[in-house]
Amino acid sequence: MENITLQSSQTTPYFPEVNFNISNGICEISGESYMEETYKFYLPLINWIKNYTKEVKKKLELNIKLIYLNTSSTKCILDILEILKDYKDKGGNVAVNWYYDKDDPDMIDEVEDFEVESGMKIDLIEIK
Amino acid sequence: MLETIVSIMNKTLLSYRGPFYIELISVFGSNIRNLSDVYINARKKLFKIFIELSQNVSNYSENFHMVNNVQRIGVGELYLKEHDTFYLFTTKNQVKNSDAKILAERCELINASNQIKLRQLKREQRLNSPGEKFGARIGLIQAVMLSKNELEYNVEEINDSFSHFSLTVKIDKY
Repeated sequence: MENITLQSSQTTPYFPEVNFNISNGICEISGESYMEETYKFYLPLINWIKNYTKEVKKKLELNIKLIYLNTSSTKCILDILEILKDYKDKGGNVAVNWYYDKDDPDMIDEVEDFEVESGMKIDLIEIK
Repeated sequence: MLETIVSIMNKTLLSYRGPFYIELISVFGSNIRNLSDVYINARKKLFKIFIELSQNVSNYSENFHMVNNVQRIGVGELYLKEHDTFYLFTTKNQVKNSDAKILAERCELINASNQIKLRQLKREQRLNSPGEKFGARIGLIQAVMLSKNELEYNVEEINDSFSHFSLTVKIDKY
């Protein structure tokens, strides 16, 4: 397994920035997410997390700092949360933090829905 | 006799007909975010609704362009109008007649649901969606949850096989 590093770009703002680090288990997705063929973009991220929970089996911290994600992206994020919930249920050490803008109350509702749908606890952190 | 002067704004902010490439959707979306310094919350909601409905056209229009014989890009129309107290966003695209009926029923179901029921529908739909190329299939629900206004739809039959399906969402400024 290798790290995943995807830089954001002003010309393609619909792709998020991604940093998945195998050495410390910190995974970060930030920016915006409303690309075409959403599943094609997220599949390597989903597989990376699956493999991490099966092979590395160490602490995993997922930090989501998305300002906006379309509904197709929410389905992929839900897939990731379901994998993490399964990992946690099997004894894995996992934490999910969702950074949000206090002026975007719709995002708080979205995170609540993710918690209910996945069963995974998500810590909301307000961006200062 | 007093004469009342009523100022009624009805300004077209954006009008487009053609293929819904992501690059275009992104530029239009950026312009919507920067429309003005006021109605910040309304513009945030408008941006989100704009992306969802535009991507529905891009993904599902029966009139489409093929890019490099691989990628299918839906062709349709969009209109964004500004009124005194609200924005109106409309998309229009070609659908199969059989799908128009399903879409109309879906709009009716969504319009008949309150916010609590919509949230429940959204959760069920997203959990049960097969994912992959189908996405979450909750774009219309999300549009109503964000705008808190009903979907207005219209079906114009083109021929025995296809219709034009248009969808309008009102986004209040306040």
